[in-house]
Amino acid sequence: MSASAGLGAPLLVWLTTTDHKRIGILYGVAAFGFFLLGGLLALVMRLELSAPGLQVVDVQTYDQSFTMHGTIMMLLFGTPMVAAFANYFVPLQVGAADMVFPRLNALSFWLFLSGGLIVLSGYLVQGGPADVGWTGYAPLSELPYSTTTGTDLWIVGLALTGVASILGAINFVATIYTRRAPGLSMFRLPMFCWTILVTSLLILFAFPAVTTALALLLLDRRFGATFFVAAEGGDPILWQHLFWFFGHPEVYILALPFFGILSEVIPVFSRKPLFGYRLMVLATILIGVLSMGVWAHHMFTTGAISLPFFTLSSFLIAVPTGIKIFNWLATMIGGRLTFPTPMLFATGFIYLFTIGGITGVIVASAPLDFHFQDTYFVVAHLHNVLVGGSLMGIFAGLYFWFPKITGRALGERLGKAHFWLWTVGFIVTFLPQYQLGAEGMPRRYADYPAELGWTTLNGVSTIGSGLLGLGVLAFLVNVALTLRRPPDQPADPWGGNALEWWTSSPPPAHNFESLPPIRSNRPVYDARRAAEGGGRSGTAGPP
Amino acid sequence: MRRAVPATFALALVAGACVAPAATAEGRQIEALYTAFLVIAALVALVVFGLATFAIVRYRFVPRAAGIEPRQVHGNNLVEVIWTAVPLLIVGGLFAGSLAVLARTEARSAEPVVEIQVEAFRWGWTFSYPDEGVQVSGFGNPGPEIVVPIDRPVRLSLTSADVAHSWFVPRFLFKRDAIPGRTNTFEITVEEPGTYRGQCAEFCGIGHSQMPFGVRAVSEDEYRAWLEQASGDQG
Ligand code: HEM
Ligand SMILES: [Cu+2]
Ligand SMILES: [Cu+2]
Repeated sequence: MSASAGLGAPLLVWLTTTDHKRIGILYGVAAFGFFLLGGLLALVMRLELSAPGLQVVDVQTYDQSFTMHGTIMMLLFGTPMVAAFANYFVPLQVGAADMVFPRLNALSFWLFLSGGLIVLSGYLVQGGPADVGWTGYAPLSELPYSTTTGTDLWIVGLALTGVASILGAINFVATIYTRRAPGLSMFRLPMFCWTILVTSLLILFAFPAVTTALALLLLDRRFGATFFVAAEGGDPILWQHLFWFFGHPEVYILALPFFGILSEVIPVFSRKPLFGYRLMVLATILIGVLSMGVWAHHMFTTGAISLPFFTLSSFLIAVPTGIKIFNWLATMIGGRLTFPTPMLFATGFIYLFTIGGITGVIVASAPLDFHFQDTYFVVAHLHNVLVGGSLMGIFAGLYFWFPKITGRALGERLGKAHFWLWTVGFIVTFLPQYQLGAEGMPRRYADYPAELGWTTLNGVSTIGSGLLGLGVLAFLVNVALTLRRPPDQPADPWGGNALEWWTSSPPPAHNFESLPPIRSNRPVYDARRAAEGGGRSGTAGPP
Repeated sequence: MRRAVPATFALALVAGACVAPAATAEGRQIEALYTAFLVIAALVALVVFGLATFAIVRYRFVPRAAGIEPRQVHGNNLVEVIWTAVPLLIVGGLFAGSLAVLARTEARSAEPVVEIQVEAFRWGWTFSYPDEGVQVSGFGNPGPEIVVPIDRPVRLSLTSADVAHSWFVPRFLFKRDAIPGRTNTFEITVEEPGTYRGQCAEFCGIGHSQMPFGVRAVSEDEYRAWLEQASGDQG
């Protein structure tokens, strides 16, 4: 994928690199590999659920599948995918030559990869991988109930990836604070960098909680401690608090950066500046702050928390989220919209994420959650936000920045096929699950009785997951075909705004030969206009 | 095609996710609250999808506009205040509604007519009526069935013998977790006679989907008769 890796031993180059761009690519490729694995597990589960009875896997394998699927998607795909984008584009967008701590950056990646492989190595031990759900609730995750060594590997592996995320976050914060080019004040920072800054701060607050919880659990399991054992004076609820104190911010760690990507993509293809930039910054910060105070909305049915407080705080977070959606719409309104694949995904995000946001408000109401908690309504909601939201954002970003990373643009025809398969696949897979949840079908059921009338909708949902799989296939074929062509992309193929579009595609090792003057949050736009004599923006519209 | 998609979303949202009619007094309040939420949800979705579809249709690039740069609007304080304030008001209203329903679901009557202790275990349930000396226990399908009188508050105290479970009856629109070392107490008032299927809703291992139970709601007289017979059976 790299232009200069042909000489010497390319493998060694990649193994020893401290270049943020290569590390970004490593993160992206590894994360996407994990995504394919997590997706495969999802298809196995959907096949199992397509009809009552156990046809494809046994119960234990099903339980391990959703545990590994959830863990992989959240922590081995989602979070490192954020690191991939941030690694590649934060230094470019702030006009820097690299991250502040390049070697720490390499350490983060290799820690993450080792942690991920340790989690997966559960498949090699006798009892198989962890079987405790991605939430690992104690006491089910204690030794008497989860006997496989896979669970210990899950604990150790996740602790390592947690440390990797923390180190990465320190690096992003430091880079954004100290490596900005002259003239690039905080209020000229591209929105993507703002969202990475807030996300990194969230990681710094949230990940230590789960790392601690994992350490305590390992002590319980292997060293005779009793932190979560009620009979010995421990408290299972403590696990839930520690887990969700991380787990809810984690959800925003997987949302904010993609809000950032949307805020880059939509202005470019609307030919307008981002509407209400300062309010967008404020909304990002507010989402970050509020997301630290909503964790126990996952615990409404435990009877152990303040129901009004966590209902209110969770409702409030809908306000800054709504602001973002309206500001994107206002950016589009009055613009000159074109719809190449990145913009299709960005627009699709607005529609689908809105549904997920709305159903989030429903489950944030404690009394309504008494019904919906732990049903397929929640499965639908979380995939709505992640598959209809984050993944749409990821794909928008990949299509948008692929020319910058590789010097080659992904094919539009396969891109459009990918978009429609993904959108329709999402609708067919996950909207029926809202109904299943409303009818009371609990999540994490390997099997369900035939007489409850859940069969048809489950069948529909399984068909939809096949469409999602085809969508991913279209993407992979697109990437493979594109990489076989020679690089041909100019520095700024889309008519971009932020500094990454100033340098060549792909950028040279030290990123920039020169920088334009920075007098707004759209330096490349300004430079383009200046070059045109300040008149009309003559940039040809993208295909 | 582009217009058909948003329309499908809106339809799916409005039509989607209906709960079965609630059989308890508390559940009916939850159901009413849910209906109110759905109405507001549909309105919000209509506004967002409407604006998005308007933008796509109206401001789509046409060759005639080639080379013309749209007006570079950076923001507008008035509209930004509006779409901050209006959502704040909406969630304020939703919060008030939620509080009102919570007051009901969390209320404890001074004198519940029936008290039932529930212990969840892997993978089944033990229900005991301490005052009446009756115990119902079972695992697997169809699981144990308890009997309660209609129109009277029934108090359940919930705990677990091993891992966390959750006591969930979909027709009551209600669940609560059974957690080892803790006792969770709640009340239900069944208003419609019938037999309601319950199930475990907190992942508890390989028997998680195989621990249903039943709640049969009957008239006061039938309930007394059942108690009599059950306590007789248990000597
Ligand atoms: C792309 C298609 C996907 C399909 C078809 C799919 C399907 C599923 C299924 C069948 C389950 C198990 C439901 C249950 O038994 O309770 C599940 C759980 C889950 N999924 Fe996905 N999924 C997909 C993508 C994703 C993505 C992209 C993410 C996150 C970024 C994700 C996160 C999760 C989580 C966190 C769980 C809960 C795991 C647990 O209960 O421990 N999924 N998914
Ligand atoms: Cu949460
Ligand atoms: Cu269970």
